[in-house]
Amino acid sequence: MKRLYLPLFLFLFLILEGVALELLPASLIMSDYLIVPHWVFIFLVYLAIFYDEENTYFSVVYALAFGLLIDIVYTGILGVYMFSYGLITYIIHGVKKVLHGNFYVTVLLGLMGLALADISINGIFIVVGISDMLWKDYFTYRLLPTVISNLVFLLVLYPVMVKRLIRWSKEQLAGRNTI
Amino acid sequence: MPFFRKKRLFIILIGFIILVALIGFSLTDRGKLTTAEQFVNDTVGWAQGVIHAPVNFITDIFTNIDDFRDTYKENQLLKEELSENRSLIYESQELREENEELRNTLELTDSIRDFEPIQATVISRSPEIWMEQVTINKGEQDGVKPNMAVITAEGMVGKIQSPSQFTSTVQLITGFDQFNRISATISREDGKDINGMIEGFDKESNSLLFKIIEESDKDLEKGELVVSSGMGGVFPAGLMIGKVKEVTPDQYGLTRTALIEPAANMYEVNNVIVVDRTLTEEAEIESEDEEEGE
Repeated sequence: MKRLYLPLFLFLFLILEGVALELLPASLIMSDYLIVPHWVFIFLVYLAIFYDEENTYFSVVYALAFGLLIDIVYTGILGVYMFSYGLITYIIHGVKKVLHGNFYVTVLLGLMGLALADISINGIFIVVGISDMLWKDYFTYRLLPTVISNLVFLLVLYPVMVKRLIRWSKEQLAGRNTI
Repeated sequence: MPFFRKKRLFIILIGFIILVALIGFSLTDRGKLTTAEQFVNDTVGWAQGVIHAPVNFITDIFTNIDDFRDTYKENQLLKEELSENRSLIYESQELREENEELRNTLELTDSIRDFEPIQATVISRSPEIWMEQVTINKGEQDGVKPNMAVITAEGMVGKIQSPSQFTSTVQLITGFDQFNRISATISREDGKDINGMIEGFDKESNSLLFKIIEESDKDLEKGELVVSSGMGGVFPAGLMIGKVKEVTPDQYGLTRTALIEPAANMYEVNNVIVVDRTLTEEAEIESEDEEEGE
């Protein structure tokens, strides 16, 4: 039963992303700044840092699965979120081996991951022709507000999730070699 | 650095190939979603419906507090408008009855103005800003089909992009491009209507681009109402689209483009009506054939 907690949490964030824009004040949405919630991704960062052992790749598998779900439900163009989330989570999983998982490392990796994931998603959309924003505008109007607002979510999640994830990791991954 | 070993590069490369294949698959002009996609959409849509109610309740409280602030001013304005509207309602009812009588005598029963409304609620909005799409809680089972117009009380908000069984995605007008044109018209007296096409949305000026096909004698005026003309074959006639904000000549100076301010607020779409045009294109063609046969 406890194994289901992680996918359930991810699913909850996936659904909440759909109503996230309603929670923001209208003045912020009407302004030039574009804010994209990446809550699923932030949870994946926590999974990669605190849940996965060195040789398990649950976070990457979840990244691929829920990236695909976001693609189906919210964009209709398959593969974009799946590839971006999967790749960036994999990179974070790799970097984590070098750094010890504490608060500052989480913020640093979260920031880096958010920026890379959003750049990757936007890059693909520009190549495909869905977005026609100039890169210069993209950095000021979309990347910066998106990263900052998601960072707030990352900080809120830290005290709630970290201990739980470490405990689940010990309970569920003890004695396993690989997936 | 051990991170870029051969095996990893290989995996990333395969991932890239899958990405390109998937994008290529989803960008092809497909009218229907695959069964798996429909299933996922319906499942997530169901959960979104459950989550949406409490979230909506909370946001409603905040908007209510906002509304209280300028209630008095609005009240004064509304009272004035109400008295004007009463006479208008009476007038329009008279006209409608007369229209119906005249239509009956001419034996014209169907009109491109008629439509069957399908009431729906918006359950989520795509977090990906570029997509400009929302999900509603009615699908094919309720009679929703691709390309149907979606309106609110204020005006047109978009069209059905891809229906699943119990939910469907709506593309908002703000996401329209040259592939989603709306045939529109500005109504004038004496048959001097100005016809044109809505050809996409300009993000910089936050307005729809209305290309005028026929050069008309009179210049467009600010504040004139643009409605759908029903000539596109999918949308019924008379759906409110927006108001003229500005008129500019195009780059060659041959046609003019009007910037249209959308009538509906795209950021607060909650309850919508899916418009099922009564007179479909096939029916029209059939009736035309009959006429020719006679």
